[in-house]
This record gives sequence, C-alpha cells and structure tokens, in this order.
Amino acid sequence: MMGEMAIDTEPQERERREPLSDLLIVDADVHVHESPGELAPYCDPPWDVALRTVADVPERYLDIPGFSPGGDGTLTARFPTAHEGARMVHTPEQMVAELRAIHVDLAVLFPDHLLKLPVLPQADYAAALARAYNAWLVDRWTSRHQSLLGAIVACPQDPADAAREIARYAGDPSIVAVYLPCAGLDPLWGHRSYDPIFDAAQAARLPVLLHAVTVTSPVFPFNNHGFDTEFARHSTSHTFSILANLVSMVSTGVVVRFPDLRIGVTEAGISWMPFLCNRLDKEYLERRREVPFLTERPSHYLKRVYVATQPIEEPERLADIDTLIDLYDGEDTTIYASDWPHHDFDHPVKLNQVPFTPARRRKVFGENALTLFGIDREGRRR
Amino acid sequence: VTEAVVGRLADFPEGTHRVVRVGRREIGVFNIRGRFYGLPNLCPHQTGPLCEGRRATGTLVADAEGGWRPRWTMEGEVIACPWHGLEYHVPTGRCLAYPEIRLRRYDVSVRGEDVVVSLGGRAP
Repeated sequence: MMGEMAIDTEPQERERREPLSDLLIVDADVHVHESPGELAPYCDPPWDVALRTVADVPERYLDIPGFSPGGDGTLTARFPTAHEGARMVHTPEQMVAELRAIHVDLAVLFPDHLLKLPVLPQADYAAALARAYNAWLVDRWTSRHQSLLGAIVACPQDPADAAREIARYAGDPSIVAVYLPCAGLDPLWGHRSYDPIFDAAQAARLPVLLHAVTVTSPVFPFNNHGFDTEFARHSTSHTFSILANLVSMVSTGVVVRFPDLRIGVTEAGISWMPFLCNRLDKEYLERRREVPFLTERPSHYLKRVYVATQPIEEPERLADIDTLIDLYDGEDTTIYASDWPHHDFDHPVKLNQVPFTPARRRKVFGENALTLFGIDREGRRR
Repeated sequence: VTEAVVGRLADFPEGTHRVVRVGRREIGVFNIRGRFYGLPNLCPHQTGPLCEGRRATGTLVADAEGGWRPRWTMEGEVIACPWHGLEYHVPTGRCLAYPEIRLRRYDVSVRGEDVVVSLGGRAP
C-alpha cells in the first residue's frame, strides 16, 4: 500500500519538471583563458617582463614554460581525434554567448593556466601572477557583464599576500569567492601557514573553493607516476586532491577554527563524499584524541562543505545520483557546475535527467549556490 | 520515404564529411572511400554536436589475438564527439566505448551529381 502510494505520487512530481530554460542555473566552475601576454600589463615588475617573454610561445592546453609548465595529457602518445580537447574562452562576449547556449544564468569564473599556480617554485613570481590575474579578472571579465562573477585566486606560496588580496576585493560586487588552487600544492590546505587566508576569507564573508587539475609531481597526492595513462591520472588526480585537502582541513581543525567559513569543492564529482564521511567517522572512534578540537563527528563538518557536481557520475541508474546525495545529506550543499569550456564539461541536460524532486532540482541547479556565494538571483552580493 | 538532395557530389570529397540540415534534423554525411554514410548530428551522451568534429579518424583497438598490443585501425571510419570524445564507428553507428549505444543511420545515395539523404532511416 505504501509502495503504491509512492508510485502514484512520484511521477506527478516528475511531470512538473521545469525545462532548463525556466530553471535558475548557477554554474560554480567556468574557466576564462588568461594568456601571459594578457596578464603582463597587470603584473608588477620584474615579473611582467617574464610574462612578455613567454607571450608568443606556441601554446598547448595548460602548457606554457615558465607559466603553466607540463600540460595535462602531454605525457601520453598523441593520436588524431575529432574531440576538441583544448577549448578556450577569450572574451566576456564569447563566454556569455556560450553559457547562454547551455542555459547557464550566472557563472563563477576560474582561470585556465593558473590552475597550476602551486607548482611554480618562485613564491614572489607566483604571488605577482595571482595579483595580476585578480586585477585582470575584475577589469576584463566580471565588471563587464552581470552574469559573470569571479573567484579571486589565493596564492598558497605567499599566504600573507593572499590575505591582502582577499581584503582588497572583499567589497567588490563581482567577486563572490576565493579560489584555492590544489594542483601540486604542498603543504595541503589544512596547514597552519594558511590561516591568514581563511581568516581573511571569513572576515570578507567570501567562501573558499578548492579546485585541482591533473599534474604529475612528487607532491602528494599528485605523485601519480605509477599510472601510465591519462585515463588513470585524470580519473584520480582531482578527486584524490580534494579528498586529501578535506581530510587535511578537518584533521587540523580549519573547520572548527573558522566556524563561519563557507567551503566548497569543485571538479571531483560527488560519489566520494559518502565514503569520506563514513571513513572519517569510523577513524574518529579510535583516534579522537588526535583531533580533540572537533566537537562533532567529522561527517558533521564534511556535510557543511558544498560539492560541485562536475564531472557528474553517469551511472546506468541515474536515480543513484539522487541516492548518493542522500548519503551525505547533500540536498542543501550540492551545486551544479559545468566546467565550461573544458574537455570534460557537463551540459546541464545530464544532471537534469536525474529523477530529483522539483525542490531538490531547483536547489542543486541554483538555489544552493546563491547561499554559498551570498548572491541574489541577479548575481548581486547580499 | 522522404528524401532530400543535400548537395553535389563535389561538395563531399573522399575522406570528408559535412553536417547538412533536412527539415529540423541535422545529419552528418560522410564520404569514406567513396561510400556514403549518414548519422544524426546529436550525441546521445550529453546532446553534443557529434558530427561537427573536423574529421573522421582511425582509432586504437587491442585484443587477445593481437597479444593485447594496441593497433591503429578503422582509418577514416571513426568520429569522436567534439564535446567529450565519445567515439562512433561511422559505417555501423556503433559506439566504441558503450556497444549498447547504436546511432540511427540514414541512407545516403548518389544520383548523378546529387547526394541524396533518405529520412526513412535504417534499423540500427
């Protein structure tokens, strides 16, 4: 009887599914293309000279010497394909048009090359690049169109400078987040040296968003040289990095020391989240005294982390996505992301095939992101 | 069966393909070594413009008979969706990664100098 009732009511809810064009879609992860020559006028000396020096270097995908060394996929043999593996967006006009085509209403912009900022060994250079990118992002992108919002990058090599940057942009109406780069990062984001960044973000009421990219480096968990294919490296690198950084941030107490800090993670999918909640809770039974500052079980803190959907898992039973979200109580913390224009972007059509309730559909596609980024439906900061 | 002339033979040199519009449908028309094939310009994965990739290529396969060593094969017969790279064998419409996915195929014929697409289609 109960089963029959469930069967009766569910399809009616599903029939009311809104078309994508009627749904508010906030995209938590979109990439602009910052070439060295573009950043040079915004960069402090002497590093502007270095940028001009590589401005004309033939560019492969995320691969410019002295800027974003060692490209995604440059280790493996190349064969011809019609797959467009290196899509880029160069202007706000192009971005607005392309996002409109995939029904995105508001988008949070991340860089291309600076995804690999942490691999640069020169701290002063890295910090100058971060400052140049932030200034360029506001001047050339987020101030040009209301639907384009920005995440300023925090340079992990110079946390004090990153904190100053966060304070500088705290009042900018178009900046809605602080991007924490993860590729090749050492130490992990839970390290005490980053406290000034979290302090500044919390004071600015800006969320921090972790974003990795596939690199091969000696730094955990990017010591992925045991794999001989991009299939293997790319399957694991983003997610392993997010796992490592969240474990780090829970185990050093970032999540309790900065109680008002909103944390989000991108480009790792969602299916690892139930694992991590259960794994850390299990370990906590035995080792609570190593993390005595936690006043709740680890999953309590993890469940407050916002999780961007891309690359959304595509199980044969798409209802499994709905179940996965239940498993980490993620109705209010799961947020859509496309990762446009990258080779593995998600068109919203796939997530829209999941049999969500109408309320959950609206939350995941847009409303949860409004809360995370502290914005209204027009993208204005609240 | 509805038919439509979609171009002249000279518009489709061997080893090339073009996306043509017939009514509301977009169809990729391929000339592979003088034989013509038609596939929908719509990838069932995430609705990508399947046939808008620059060119059909070959691909790599490996099996027990070949000692599990990859070999380059099906030269000119494989189209990868530009969005996510999902590969299809153009002559059969078969998806290489997920064989349960088969695209509908349109009959394409050459009549004199005209290239003609039949919308009757063929069973997958």
